[in-house]
Amino acid sequence: MRVEAGAVLLELDDLKTHFKTERGLVRAVDGVTLKLRRGESLGVVGESGSGKTVLSRSIMGLLPSTAVRHGSVRFAGQEIQGMSSKQMRHLWGAEMSMVFQNPLNSLNPLMKIGKQIVEPLKLHLGMDKDNARATAVQLLRDVRIPEAERRLNQYPHELSGGMRQRVMIAIALACGPTLLFADEPTTALDVTVQAQILDLINEQRRDRDMSVILVTHDLGVVAGHTDQIAVMYGGKLVEYAPTKILFADMKMPYTKSLMRSIPKMADPSHSRLATIPGRPPDLVNPPKGCNFAPRCAYAQDRCHVEEPPLTEAKDAGHVFACWYPVGSPEFERKDAELQEQGIMPADSAAVS
Amino acid sequence: MRYWLQRLGAALALLLAVSMLTFGAMNLLGDPLFNILGPAASDTSTEEGRQIIADAKAEYNLDEPLPVRYVKWGSAFVTGDFGVQFSVDGQPPVADLIKERLPRTLMLLIMAQLIAVTLAIPWALWSASRADSVVDKMSTATTFLFIALPNFALAVLIKYVLSIKFEIFPLIFNAADPFWTRVWQMVMPALTLGLPAAAVYQRLLRTDLITTLQEDFILTARAKGVSRRNVLFKHALRPSLFSFITIFGITTGALIGGALVVEQVFIIPGLGSAIVEAILREDFPVVLAIVMLVTAAFVVINVIVDLVYSLIDPRVRAS
Repeated sequence: MRVEAGAVLLELDDLKTHFKTERGLVRAVDGVTLKLRRGESLGVVGESGSGKTVLSRSIMGLLPSTAVRHGSVRFAGQEIQGMSSKQMRHLWGAEMSMVFQNPLNSLNPLMKIGKQIVEPLKLHLGMDKDNARATAVQLLRDVRIPEAERRLNQYPHELSGGMRQRVMIAIALACGPTLLFADEPTTALDVTVQAQILDLINEQRRDRDMSVILVTHDLGVVAGHTDQIAVMYGGKLVEYAPTKILFADMKMPYTKSLMRSIPKMADPSHSRLATIPGRPPDLVNPPKGCNFAPRCAYAQDRCHVEEPPLTEAKDAGHVFACWYPVGSPEFERKDAELQEQGIMPADSAAVS
Repeated sequence: MRYWLQRLGAALALLLAVSMLTFGAMNLLGDPLFNILGPAASDTSTEEGRQIIADAKAEYNLDEPLPVRYVKWGSAFVTGDFGVQFSVDGQPPVADLIKERLPRTLMLLIMAQLIAVTLAIPWALWSASRADSVVDKMSTATTFLFIALPNFALAVLIKYVLSIKFEIFPLIFNAADPFWTRVWQMVMPALTLGLPAAAVYQRLLRTDLITTLQEDFILTARAKGVSRRNVLFKHALRPSLFSFITIFGITTGALIGGALVVEQVFIIPGLGSAIVEAILREDFPVVLAIVMLVTAAFVVINVIVDLVYSLIDPRVRAS
């Protein structure tokens, strides 16, 4: 069933993904609920270990056998949570596909590029050899790889990292999926190439009315390239908002800290990079109350005892999970105190 | 090109070194004259006896110093003249013996490797795709059994089960039988050599497959919708073959050694039994010829292994 542009394509309801390990149950994704419309792009942001990569793989169903999923994943109106990989295989590459972090490892080193692009075309669209090759050339042109015909007979090691990521995108786009996962697609690339790859993904999204889930640790990456942002911490969604609203009015102290840890051009040279103290929470024994409380400069007694639910902010579609969000009297009092002591920088300039 | 010239040079140097060592050892450790003439070698009491000794020395260049004899033997050897057998009536040429025995050993080795490879690859794929499950652990235990069991013991076991108990294969190898009958007779000896080799290949290939299956490009293949089976066969197998191919080349050498024992147990008159007999008789032209053949075969197989590398990995081709 095809979904019209603008209609809901993906719906997660209390999605949980736990891994059985010797230490105990790792709650990598612990109750995520969200909706994505066709053609929209969603940025999933968080530190490493926040569950953002597991979230995207959970939606796709590409998980190791130690994983246990609960909750609901509806894709194009169909419940896909609980489907076997045999059933999911018809969606993988056809309806939803994925671009991975490291283009140096994500292409088969012993297989010609042409063959790697042609593979899903033959598999899902049943194309014959000539037809598939012609389509592959067109795809390589779409992702702006020069001398497309010649590339078909080359091996991945003959291409640069940026080119390989373009090939990965071409493979992911091959069968015209409605949902593309891009898991840190630019982290392994040169800064100069990063913007090109992100623009390419965005452009293809518009051309194809495709939804994109962009997973990254970098708020700067999602700022210009997504419609919605989901901030994850300790396997949970802690703030969710349309991109513009989030940057104008972030509520979670965690989001704020992520924001502060981006170096700014205006900073004097050699100024210290702002970091978030401590480490991501232990997902086997998560802390009581708010997951972020042990690292939060604004945490109060209540934060260590009671877990804050997702609450609506004043703007539509903006939710956050915090007892004392940015802007609340408790937060402001504490912030003034911290600034006096010189612990927190005086800025709170939002970027949009 | 340059690389292959270097390989050729190294191969020739190896053959030269092995021939010198063997030639030197055979000449220094025994008395060639005694081996040729038997007790007559020390009979200098009569004119006739002294004449026989002098003739033999002249015929086999025994009066010459060792290096000269080596060069004379070596230059004849490379033209295909392997000399004559010692201590056998009529002194037939060594080449005749090799011609008669080599095909049997070759058949044994080829069949053993075929069995080993055709068994090991599906076995490893099967195991790696269910790594650490109960059946995988059982298969690992089985491989250890095959590797640990000495091949004469395995030979007896195979003989008992497949020939005496179930009478599937004949006990006797008969060199006079037609080709396909001999192939059938060779199955049990080939199994004896091939099963432990299969176990070694399986262990190695399974480990490499498990490592490959963790790679990002395997996830890419799955995310494309490729079936589990094709992920294994089309994506994971080829990148996992490198150590397997290396060990295939080395194992070929070990199998030649194993063939000595297996040929004895199954009473196959092959090269293995020929070299054992020749060593006992100190019939060193035969020993030398067989050692040189085995070394050459080993070198050739390992060059082929290198060629296969470059066939499966485009990155090796480029460098």
